[in-house]
Amino acid sequence: MIIVTGASRGLGNAICKRLISKNISVLGLARYTDDLTFESMSCDVSSYESVKNIAQRLRKDGISIAGLINAAGIASMNLAVTTPQNVSMNIINTNLLGTIYCCQLIAPLMARNKTGSIINFSTIAVALGLKGESIYAASKAGVEGFTRSFAREMADFNIKVNCIAPGPIDTDLIRGVTPTQIQKIVSQQIIPKQFTPDAVSDLVEILLDPRSNSLSAQVLHIGGA
Amino acid sequence: MISKEDARKSVFSAIHKYVKCDVTESTVLLGSDTGINSMQLVELCLELEDKSLVFGFEFDWTSDVAMSRSRSMFRTAGSLASEFIDQMETKK
Repeated sequence: MIIVTGASRGLGNAICKRLISKNISVLGLARYTDDLTFESMSCDVSSYESVKNIAQRLRKDGISIAGLINAAGIASMNLAVTTPQNVSMNIINTNLLGTIYCCQLIAPLMARNKTGSIINFSTIAVALGLKGESIYAASKAGVEGFTRSFAREMADFNIKVNCIAPGPIDTDLIRGVTPTQIQKIVSQQIIPKQFTPDAVSDLVEILLDPRSNSLSAQVLHIGGA
Repeated sequence: MISKEDARKSVFSAIHKYVKCDVTESTVLLGSDTGINSMQLVELCLELEDKSLVFGFEFDWTSDVAMSRSRSMFRTAGSLASEFIDQMETKK
């Protein structure tokens, strides 16, 4: 089974639907799961106890975990100096600590099987140092650093840990970004076009596939950066 | 209910799989030639977690001093067994 966080919308939701379409067993995690049409459980990734409850239940039920996709994330377009303290905390708690908690608590379930793939999510904002995204970029830079170190810790267990760093994909996450701003970011990519959630799902499939077992601790940029 | 002594023996039995010597209270786990590596440490934690569930509690191996040679529960077999038993007594 593949665990996908942020399953109720955006990239997480698109990834769930792609994997299910390929007959891959998926468990979606999200704060609100009422509208989800696939197997899901309510979980707030920014809460250690909430994630721990999920891990305990999976272990108790004897569920074999083959992959973890940490797609839950929030963004806030704002200058650092005009960002309220609670917004900064929410971004760090969800994007960085949420990813760390899920890795800490679900990876041991995968370590028992000595196989697995963990996919974290960063952003092109890290590579480009985008203006107006400093706190969001900081949280994702943390995810990239965590990914590289955690990949070494998990290599003993044949678990690969990688990071996908998309450019501006058309999801709810960037609804506050104007078309002009999006085009400006896209123009800085190696491949200067806006990609869709399908491109991200393609890469997720590749990273879950055993044929990518030589890849770990990598940050893969959708569109190139 | 399992006795403290049986719990200690169970912890020592788990440790014995990873060290190259007989396990005693003073068997060093961290930072010695006969100690365990990071992979074995995680495997040992998973095994102790399994044992704890059988004994009716959940062993929490997280600690802010886990890698400290002077204060870690993992510094010796005895310290690990004592922590395991303490948690068993507290959480039951």
